[in-house]
Amino acid sequence: MRVIVPILSLLIFLSLDCAAEVDYLAEVKPLFLKNCTQCHGEFQQKNGLRLDTAVGALKGGSSGQAILPKNAKGSLLIQVLEGRHSNLPAMPYKKPALSLKQLATIKSWINSGAKYPPDEKPLTEKHWSFIPPSRPDFLHLKNPLTTKNGIDYFIQSKLESLKLKPSPEADRNTLIRRLSLDLTGLPPSLDELDRFLNDKEPGAYERMVDGLLASPHYGERWGRWWLDAARYADSNGYSIDAPRSIWKYRDWVINALNTDMTFDRFTIEQIAGDMLPNATLEQKIATGFHRNTQINQEGGIDREQFRIDSIFDRVASTSTVFLGLTIACAQCHDHKFDPIKQAEYYKLFAFLNNADEPDLAVASDEDIAKGNELDAKVTAYQVELATKDPGFREKTKSWERELTPSQRQGQPEPVRQVIDVPFDKRSENQWRMMQSAYIEQSPTNKLHQVAIAKLRAQKPKIPMTMIVRERPKPRETHLFIKGDFTRKSDQVFPGTPAVLHPLPAIPNPNRLTLANWLVSTNNPLTARVIMNRVWLQYFGKGIVETENDFGTQGALPTHPELLDWLAMEFMERGWSLKAMHRIIVTSSVYRQQSISRADVNLRDPYNLLLARQNRLRLDAELIRDVALSASGLISNKIGGPSVYPPQPDGVMSVGQVRRVWPTDTGEDRYRRGLYTFYFRATPYPSLSVFDAPDSLSSCTRRIRSNTPLQALTLLNDPAYFEIAESLAKRVIRLGPKDDLGRIDFAFRICLARPPLEKERAILKLLLDSNQRQPLPQDISREQAKWTLVARALLNLDETITRE
Amino acid sequence: MKQSLVNEPLKTSPSDLLRGITRRHFFGQAGLGTLALSKMLEGRDSTKLPNPFAPRAPQFRPKAKNVIYLFMAGGPSQLDLFDYKPKLVELNGKPIPQSYIEGKRFAFMGSSHGTTLLGSRRRFQQHGQNGAWVSELLPHTAAVADELCLVTSCATELFNHAPAKLFMNTGSGQFGRPSMGAWVTYGLGSESTDLPGFVVLQSGPRGPRGGAMHWASGFLPTTYQGVPLRNQADPILNLANPAGIPAEQQRRTLDAIRDLNLTRQVETGDPEILTRIASYEMAYRMQTSAPDLIDISKESQATLKLYGAVPGKTSFANNCLLARRLVERGVRFIQLYHTNWDHHGGTGETLQKDLDVVCKDVDQSCAALIKDLKSRGLLEDTLVIWGGEFGRTPMGENRETPGRNHHIDAFTMWFAGGGVKGGQVIGRTDELGFGATEDRAHVHDLHATILHLLGINHEKLTFRFQGRDFRLTDVHGTVINKLLA
Repeated sequence: MRVIVPILSLLIFLSLDCAAEVDYLAEVKPLFLKNCTQCHGEFQQKNGLRLDTAVGALKGGSSGQAILPKNAKGSLLIQVLEGRHSNLPAMPYKKPALSLKQLATIKSWINSGAKYPPDEKPLTEKHWSFIPPSRPDFLHLKNPLTTKNGIDYFIQSKLESLKLKPSPEADRNTLIRRLSLDLTGLPPSLDELDRFLNDKEPGAYERMVDGLLASPHYGERWGRWWLDAARYADSNGYSIDAPRSIWKYRDWVINALNTDMTFDRFTIEQIAGDMLPNATLEQKIATGFHRNTQINQEGGIDREQFRIDSIFDRVASTSTVFLGLTIACAQCHDHKFDPIKQAEYYKLFAFLNNADEPDLAVASDEDIAKGNELDAKVTAYQVELATKDPGFREKTKSWERELTPSQRQGQPEPVRQVIDVPFDKRSENQWRMMQSAYIEQSPTNKLHQVAIAKLRAQKPKIPMTMIVRERPKPRETHLFIKGDFTRKSDQVFPGTPAVLHPLPAIPNPNRLTLANWLVSTNNPLTARVIMNRVWLQYFGKGIVETENDFGTQGALPTHPELLDWLAMEFMERGWSLKAMHRIIVTSSVYRQQSISRADVNLRDPYNLLLARQNRLRLDAELIRDVALSASGLISNKIGGPSVYPPQPDGVMSVGQVRRVWPTDTGEDRYRRGLYTFYFRATPYPSLSVFDAPDSLSSCTRRIRSNTPLQALTLLNDPAYFEIAESLAKRVIRLGPKDDLGRIDFAFRICLARPPLEKERAILKLLLDSNQRQPLPQDISREQAKWTLVARALLNLDETITRE
Repeated sequence: MKQSLVNEPLKTSPSDLLRGITRRHFFGQAGLGTLALSKMLEGRDSTKLPNPFAPRAPQFRPKAKNVIYLFMAGGPSQLDLFDYKPKLVELNGKPIPQSYIEGKRFAFMGSSHGTTLLGSRRRFQQHGQNGAWVSELLPHTAAVADELCLVTSCATELFNHAPAKLFMNTGSGQFGRPSMGAWVTYGLGSESTDLPGFVVLQSGPRGPRGGAMHWASGFLPTTYQGVPLRNQADPILNLANPAGIPAEQQRRTLDAIRDLNLTRQVETGDPEILTRIASYEMAYRMQTSAPDLIDISKESQATLKLYGAVPGKTSFANNCLLARRLVERGVRFIQLYHTNWDHHGGTGETLQKDLDVVCKDVDQSCAALIKDLKSRGLLEDTLVIWGGEFGRTPMGENRETPGRNHHIDAFTMWFAGGGVKGGQVIGRTDELGFGATEDRAHVHDLHATILHLLGINHEKLTFRFQGRDFRLTDVHGTVINKLLA
């Protein structure tokens, strides 16, 4: 210090003297921050060099002083930036060199003495998303609060500053279809449509919102939203991809959302439901969240390697889903951009590394009692048979003597053990077991076998589901060098990243501690991240566009105060998702028209400021649901095992193991898309073609592609053709008798609005074009004509779009 | 799509990159309009209709325009096909020196993995002007040795089938990354206006382990995923009209859909509807062009004989011929899978009879493909790649017959055609064929080289996902200059 102070005074003096010189903070430091500090900064100091302060630059690293004041040419920093150092690679490493102008700036700064302010801070302040949200101060904003809610206030203020006007409210036809699709994933029925169109009382819209939020289909629509993040699927993945049973978890999600389980509890039960005091069956089922990882059943593998892979996935998913952080980078090295150390990654890993992964029989006490009761009845039946017939033991003996060697081998283990005991050495219990085998297997006992089978058929069917269960003794967790599980380094203990809110100071934090930490109101991220993803569903993009990266490399929020306002509302309303949905869909912003506007296209081409709504193509499952609804075929059954609707031939043969697809014939053939059995290796084609997630990792935003294969699916997939035929039948049966009336009827079923004159004419032309078409024998001309119209309607862009 | 990703230096603004995946920027060149459509568009230029596959300029002058990748699923035994090791034959039955296997991990470690050396029983001969060693199992391939660049020093990282195949296809063993074909069509689009840009053909007794993951688009839009072409009446899923719908009626339906969509487009001004119209038009063209494509019966007898192709059959030979037909139609990336190269020694996977069978399955048609492409002047624009996900051990495996386990340290692939310097062997392995001693060619290096041949700098073809710019080559990869013509 003694040396530096005089120099500093000198520098300050000099800088005052030569005001026209290069300004370090304004011109030089930004170049370092942009090009150098990723490797030579706060989080990483390659070769011991740190360039986020001028002091660090002057000090240099292991290769020596980086800057010689007044000697740019001789400065190591300049030599490597110009790529003329004999031993060190050109910098920035493997990136384009700095421009001559940029180099000149740095050189000129060095040559004039490398002056800098004495109180220079390494970097700017903390990254925005690590600072807890606060309720924005309305007063310091320019315009008074004149509009309906916080959303409108923030969106409209920003629009005003750009002199853009919001779009008018969409018409009622558009609104009801939009709202119905957004809240339940189903289009409005004609009754619902007419009721809303005719409801002239104030509050009609709000009443519709409340009705839809109370619908059990709300849980299906938003349940699928959550299942994307949970990477839910019905098979084990990798190459073998055997089916698994975890639909109870899917149903748990639907039910939790329908009952508006508060989001904090929703989180805790999924992350650590098994560790809650007196955990209920439902809370255990919830832990299936982290069982949605793949399981590799290929021969010759190292099981520990894949167990560890699944923990890696759980760490990545936990951080993506709840924190919006891309923490997986720190699996192999300290995060290059965000303040996450590799050791901190393994601290999170340690929380998740202590569980067993069993299957749970989902049986209520009632189920168990009923099962036991029926088992007792079977035993009683068999005992009665044996006691009533004095020759019964002899019959058993002779049956046993006649067993072939392979039949003996094929007996269940306990029976085989009894066979090895000589007749005269057997206990009563052993005889009972043998007699039971005789009753159940000998062809002479057919009648009894039928009677017993009838008893057993009354036993409740007990589904299995995959859960997580904490081990009594935790595993040791080590840091893996470069993420390689064969290269263990130091042992690490559970903990959370230092940049975030602290973990409560308790002796042995565990998975439940982590779950509580995630939904602590001190957490700066979770509420924002979740609100952003909800917002994304309604507007097509998040307030933070990088919905899975709230870190320093992510996009900045377009409306930071709005995001904070939503996060604060969310927490203060007790983490109620339904409350937040209501706030969003009743806003004017949400209710705007989506029609393109020249002024918006010019000034805000990506509509980031929401001067209008966006047209959004429906999610894969909803495309199916909309068509099924229109056809009248749709089943409104909620939950249960996944189903097998028809799919084109040959789909299941592309995987390594050919899986059976027992196409459903009854009600299950027409269930909503989210119930379709999802094989990870051979996903249901008409879902994956519309960008259903692959369920291999958490999906927080679906891509919306637009491809010829989608056209082929809607045009030709036999399942969609069946739906079109059914829609045609419905139109003939329930619609008016005249062609134009029927066109209007079919059009309203699909699009919740009457056709324009031009649209009606196009469909009439299509209808009439079929008059002389030869027909297959079993189809009436009427049916064929209207199937044509139905197909066209089901293929429209508007049908598969939320306007 | 975000075309500029391959044309311009990488933009770092995440929101710029993210906009790339919101679908609204598919403005390309391909002429899509029918007369009626042009009329409906009323003066609008129908060639401006969006097309996600619109060809895009490479970053620099490419050597190859198309790729045919012959994927030998299961891991062919390089030691019985290309990597001639007399020393291994000499030491047959001896234990492998500990120094080779110290600290290494293999598949089936707990059961059948063996540590005694197994010499090849196959006869080897040198072929072509440069004297490349090829065994008796591949006589036809040997005959075109002057066209091939053998790389005997290939190396990978993963020793189980599905992860290793993914690694070869996507540069990562984890599911969920885009495959090479997806990257390439994302980067370059496709010349074909009536077929998808990335097509997959399969033959052999079963599908490749891992299935559709190998041609998945990962986090890239599904537009770029490989489309399996099946040798059925319906070569692409849902290609045929529903039963009872004649072609003429399908067209009329499409006209009505198009007119209604266009009406809606005028109402809403949403350019996405134009993309949808274009997709429907391309779907319609696929309906006619794909059946025509798979109908090989019109090929000359000489051509069918050259490949050993039989119309109506599903075979690797037929697929090779289809690959040529796809290249002729401008399809960018064609991948053929042929299974059953997993010669552990057990029943159905012996190094004797079963290896003979699978070599016969592919040998003639691989060579035919090279010759046919060449005679039609297509070889200079087409990169042909042959290889599996890994190789096989110099040690024998203890199964019903002596077989070979999976091996990642050295295996052989070959390259031919556009931009490849043929008639050479790159790389050298040690005397047992265990590891590369010269010119080790890691999978990432192979990927970098393939992209280079297509005019793409592998470090510049990126896509931002989960906060990171992903590449086919991850953070690795060096172009193998020796391979380039």
